[in-house]
Amino acid sequence: MSDPATLALAAAASAAVELPACGGLPISAGDGLATLAPVGQSADWSFVGEAVDWEFVFRNADYLGVGALLTIGLTVASILLGFVVGFPAGAVEVYGDGYLKRAVSTVGIVLRGTPIVVILIVMYFVVGVPQINLGVATISSAMTAGILGLGLRSAAYQSQIFRATLSSVDEGQLEAGRSIGLSRFEAVRYVVVPQALRRSIPGFQNEFTIVLKDTSIVFAIGLAELLTRGYDLFSEQTTAVLEVVLFISAIYFVLTFTTNRALDYLGDYYAIPEGESA
Amino acid sequence: MSDDEFLRVSDVSKWYGEEKVLEEVSFEMDRGDVTVLIGPSGSGKSTMLRCVNRLAEAQEGSILLDGEEVLSPDLDVDELRREVGMVFQGFNLFAHLTAVGNVALGPRRVLGLSETAARERAEAQLERVGLGEQFDSYPAELSGGQQQRVGIARALAMEPKLMLFDEPTSALDPELIGEVLEVMHGLVDEGMTMLVVTHEMSFAREVADEIVFLDDGRVVERGPPEQLFDHPEEERTGRFLERIASHD
Repeated sequence: MSDPATLALAAAASAAVELPACGGLPISAGDGLATLAPVGQSADWSFVGEAVDWEFVFRNADYLGVGALLTIGLTVASILLGFVVGFPAGAVEVYGDGYLKRAVSTVGIVLRGTPIVVILIVMYFVVGVPQINLGVATISSAMTAGILGLGLRSAAYQSQIFRATLSSVDEGQLEAGRSIGLSRFEAVRYVVVPQALRRSIPGFQNEFTIVLKDTSIVFAIGLAELLTRGYDLFSEQTTAVLEVVLFISAIYFVLTFTTNRALDYLGDYYAIPEGESA
Repeated sequence: MSDDEFLRVSDVSKWYGEEKVLEEVSFEMDRGDVTVLIGPSGSGKSTMLRCVNRLAEAQEGSILLDGEEVLSPDLDVDELRREVGMVFQGFNLFAHLTAVGNVALGPRRVLGLSETAARERAEAQLERVGLGEQFDSYPAELSGGQQQRVGIARALAMEPKLMLFDEPTSALDPELIGEVLEVMHGLVDEGMTMLVVTHEMSFAREVADEIVFLDDGRVVERGPPEQLFDHPEEERTGRFLERIASHD
């Protein structure tokens, strides 16, 4: 536990426990530093942490697991909301005109230009969104604010993904659609959108990864998702900073890797065959 | 004006901003006629063609198709395009759909045929243009000539009463032009009414009932091919034909 990196992480962590976000844990900065006192012992595997600290992590794996579920829930809900709002918004920016187009583009600029913490704080403390009762479960107002904040910001970014890919489809495609009697809406719907969605997958992979990792910011409105819970844990056992961080990173990695691979697969599955004579 | 008059273009003018691209263009076609628009690039022939199905908007004049005013602001353009097929220079096949998908889209979504009926119709049209083996190929998997034949089948599947061809062979390698012209020949033989923009003069001479020579957005001269090609009255027509001939 004694290499410089571990030491720095632990020191940073113990300094940070004094922040209000982590309040309530009975640890002082002094405790953290004290446990780090014996320096100089160098084990081969020290860069992946100490057995005793790993044991601590695994003992609390379910605590982190709940955080991971919250992270997944926030990500899925935000990405879906982002798509449902962002796709039409992107389409309006490409095909709309007048006030609607200007309104949509202005809202997008504002959302993209505002720090996510500010958006969340506004949602939670200023707008004061209510909790939502789904019958089987109740979504707390903090969760609702988190989904709305992350989701609307994602919509603002997703709208730009779709704006770019919709306008990247050759004008002749729309024209050919119109030439057989499809209305403008139908030609966009049946000819342009299927091609634009295929081209949106790489940008969407990025956006998904960004939203997944940005969910940690909901700590600002009191939600304990994966990273916040990790924070709580290594505040309790300050020697376990590296282990906790590695464990959490592994979860984030598995989540991003599997979804990205799933989207790769989707992209390959729907790829438009290319011939040699094109 | 004959009893069979089908298309009457009268004094059609169009501007792109300040630039006048069509100036009082007039010509007529009977049902079953083949009219070929020729002229140097930038002469407005493609624009004229596109005004007929309103992919371009003429600002002045009149286009009567089967007695109906095409330029009327009340006209349902989707309805018009249902009845007027168009073949593009760059094919413009729907890149994400197979040959059958390309041809079936109109019948399925515009005419409201069932999926099976639309597919059957698409297959029949692809057979008609000699692509019975390529039903499930994507555009990128087809040669240019094959792609253009899919383009023709796509337009035919709507059972149009007029076909517009906008330089259908200009984007093709020379050895692929023949197969497209052959399909077009077949349509002429079936009595399809066709308005064609092309640089294929021998094809024009063979099939056209009338040639319209446009230059600078104006009709310089028009007449039956043997008259226009062999005894052009206007000097500009002669010069254009000589230039074209020297490239053949």
